[in-house]
Amino acid sequence: MASPALARPRTPAPPFRSIGRSILLTLPMALWALLMFTPSFQQHGRNSHIGAVAVILFMTTLFFLMMRTGKTYRWRRYFFVALGFLFPVGFIAALVALRGTMSIPIERMVSGDTPFCFMVTPMLLIPAAFTRTVIFPGSILPTASNPHSIAIMIGIWSAMTLVVGKAWCSYICFFGGIEEGFAAFPKHMKIRRLDPRLRLVPWAILLFVVVLSAALFEPVYCMWLCPFKTVTEYPAVHSVETAIQMGIFITLFAGLVVVLPFLTKKRTQCAYFCPFGAFQSLFNKINLFEIRFDREKCVDCTLCRTACPTQALSAESIRDGKTLLNCMKCGACVDSCKKDAAVWHLKGTKVALKPERARLLFLYGAWAMATMFGGSILANSVATMIGFLPFK
Amino acid sequence: MLGLATGPICLASCGPVVLPWMLVQPRGVRVHARQLSIFLAARLAGYLLFAALIWFAGLAISRSWTGRSWVFGSVQVALAAGLLIYAVAWPHAGCAFRHTHRNRLVHIGAPPDPRPRPTGAAALGFLTGINLCPPFLVAGVRAAQLPSLPAALLFFAVFFVGTAVWFTPFLSLGVVRRTPSFLTVARLAAVLLACWYGFSGASLLIEKAIYG
Ligand code: SF4
Ligand code: SF4
Repeated sequence: MASPALARPRTPAPPFRSIGRSILLTLPMALWALLMFTPSFQQHGRNSHIGAVAVILFMTTLFFLMMRTGKTYRWRRYFFVALGFLFPVGFIAALVALRGTMSIPIERMVSGDTPFCFMVTPMLLIPAAFTRTVIFPGSILPTASNPHSIAIMIGIWSAMTLVVGKAWCSYICFFGGIEEGFAAFPKHMKIRRLDPRLRLVPWAILLFVVVLSAALFEPVYCMWLCPFKTVTEYPAVHSVETAIQMGIFITLFAGLVVVLPFLTKKRTQCAYFCPFGAFQSLFNKINLFEIRFDREKCVDCTLCRTACPTQALSAESIRDGKTLLNCMKCGACVDSCKKDAAVWHLKGTKVALKPERARLLFLYGAWAMATMFGGSILANSVATMIGFLPFK
Repeated sequence: MLGLATGPICLASCGPVVLPWMLVQPRGVRVHARQLSIFLAARLAGYLLFAALIWFAGLAISRSWTGRSWVFGSVQVALAAGLLIYAVAWPHAGCAFRHTHRNRLVHIGAPPDPRPRPTGAAALGFLTGINLCPPFLVAGVRAAQLPSLPAALLFFAVFFVGTAVWFTPFLSLGVVRRTPSFLTVARLAAVLLACWYGFSGASLLIEKAIYG
């Protein structure tokens, strides 16, 4: 006989907001998306127009659903995973169109044609401060063959970091989206226990790459440790050294970005490896938004800790009503909390007083950045894929 | 002047050894000053030894790529071992080999010995002193051309003073609070750097052994 609890009919949770109010709150984001993609309509071909329309609809719909349901992580994840999986499509297609291969030959590096990647940023600081030298084989200003110049990318990174802080890792970084995708596949975790001290490893790697890059005058992370070289561009393999490098890239990608996220349902590369993620955590100190815990409502059920994809919560931090420094404001803990104890919070205000207002303010900034940066990447990739279709 | 001018490069070259080493020291500017002085004194000893050798050998070592690779490779492997023993196994460096428990990593955040022994700083200082980094080689070429051994030693001693000035900012690390997490990060970074030195030194030695 079924237990009374099981026999009880399931009633769907009531919507968080009315449709009218949700539309009203979505309107500014819809206008922002239109504004962002207006240049695409003026300049590019038909495929780009389709890409732009698809992305405007996609981003606006997701934002509407966030407003309507009150859930953040659940809807953000669709965007983020799409960004992670589609970014390589557009990027690789552009590389192949430009030079016929994904590998970057040494002559292109010497001529400064390597597109700048934000991951290099912390490694640039010491050599630039002491010797006014930029240790990256890219160009400072955009050129015809390399529009992703150092100045442009650092400018984008600074502006976005100012607005979202460490939330960069859940709204902007296309690499994180790949892992989030693999972590989303399985229904249950196959590995449950992960040593919490592993979350210190990214800091050690950050220290390692910053110090060694200054000593060797080369971006050590890019040369030896970047898992994402596997799906973007890599130095042409022409020696034992470059073969070892390629082996490291592929092993790290397979292990940290594919297999472990699948087994643990965590973003293992972001949580236990990425030095840029650790660097970005520092900006949580100055960012206005954070996640807090209302101790009066919290029953220490650990649902939020299990849901957190980067182990940014510990028993002590929850007891203190805070997250750890590496919280990327993805909202998974808030979405999972059944007691409404995990809340969005605007620094300087009383905790849990108006959490939805804090969430809205944060989301307007983060989603605007996501639409501007990630949206344009998505639109470009969609347009590229339409170009591959056999019919016109 | 040469030492002062090449200081940032010396700092960058020795930084991967000095920084993690200093970070695993106990808190306090005085402890740091003591450890840094031992490190620098040992580094000076390395310099003077090198100055004497290079003066006797003429320009042979600094010019011969093969000889340099053997020295460079061996010093890097020794630096890797030094970092592993003194930065990671420390504060019980002496027992590191006798007590390699399975759960060594458990102790990676253990509090530092409040009275650190001088051997680690001396060993690492000496090894960085004979590490053939670019400024060091420039100084070596100049020293080898000098007419007498005392002149070569004096030249290296002055070069040392010029570069040592650049190490004083490391004293500021003494004020940073040593939490268990902080120590774990510093020790993990030391392990990574040791791996790097080991890999780089071993590849140089293997390359030389194969291709001559
Ligand atoms: S931790 Fe690193 S890879 Fe992950 S999202 Fe952040 S920057 Fe990207
Ligand atoms: S603490 Fe919450 S918001 Fe922060 S990363 Fe973890 S789940 Fe996301």
